[in-house]
Amino acid sequence: MAVETDVLDELRRLRTRVPRLAGSLAATVDGLVLAHDVPATEPEGLAALTAAALGVAHRMTDAAGRGDFRELLVRGAHGYIATYAAGTTAVLTLLADDRVNVGRLHLEGRRSGARIAELVDARIGPGGGRHADRPAAGDGAPDPVDRSRPIGTLPVRTPQRPAHRPRTGG
Amino acid sequence: MANTETALKECLSSIDGATAAALVDYTSGMALGTLGGGKDFNLEVAAAGNTDVVRSKLRTMELLGLKEEIEDILITLNSQYHLIRLLKGRGGNGLFLYLVLDSSRANLAMARHQMRRIENELEV
Repeated sequence: MAVETDVLDELRRLRTRVPRLAGSLAATVDGLVLAHDVPATEPEGLAALTAAALGVAHRMTDAAGRGDFRELLVRGAHGYIATYAAGTTAVLTLLADDRVNVGRLHLEGRRSGARIAELVDARIGPGGGRHADRPAAGDGAPDPVDRSRPIGTLPVRTPQRPAHRPRTGG
Repeated sequence: MANTETALKECLSSIDGATAAALVDYTSGMALGTLGGGKDFNLEVAAAGNTDVVRSKLRTMELLGLKEEIEDILITLNSQYHLIRLLKGRGGNGLFLYLVLDSSRANLAMARHQMRRIENELEV
């Protein structure tokens, strides 16, 4: 249980360092809450949505040839949602007001993500998560765990051929 | 008229003692452009941090009931001057120019004068 309290401490520290931060959540890449500090939002839903967004973000960075996933920023009319990679097993999602200092949010979010990665990796060990087949940020060699399952990817649908070919002409 | 890049180049080349410059959006805390600084002086950090400085001063003035505008902010360190100049007009609202000067080589009066000139020529 120690890792959860350590991560929660980190989230609390983050709140004092970033003005206008509305909430923060650390989750595993498969959508389970590790620790949260989100007063106005349901953490489980947010963790699940983070995992879904992460899957798409991984596909985007892959498809566009932009390397490993680092962060995701979404802006709504009333504020920002930022997701930062925290190693291969965890992510950090931050909710902030519209008037937040985004520069500072990035700086502290990245730093915090790295610290949470250390905490989680020390406890669980790296390479245990859903995206374990992906190399960690700044880590060269990929971890050959569970390569059979292409995780974090959306199922690819190939349209079925119609059984009956439509008649052409008369 | 100069664009962001030329204005920042102008800052470093025409102002004596200038070592780094950035154009920063203080509504978001992110830099529109940075020049100089190097590895041991992270201008992204400076942009975010000085955004807090500007916002804090604006808030203080609001609380004091001052109906004034900030022209510039000078921060004096042991060996450096940091100059923050808020831009006015022509889409420059919500932006500031940030300049780092080596205090042993810089002339503050001249630096402020040049900053004013560069601001007037800058088109964002």
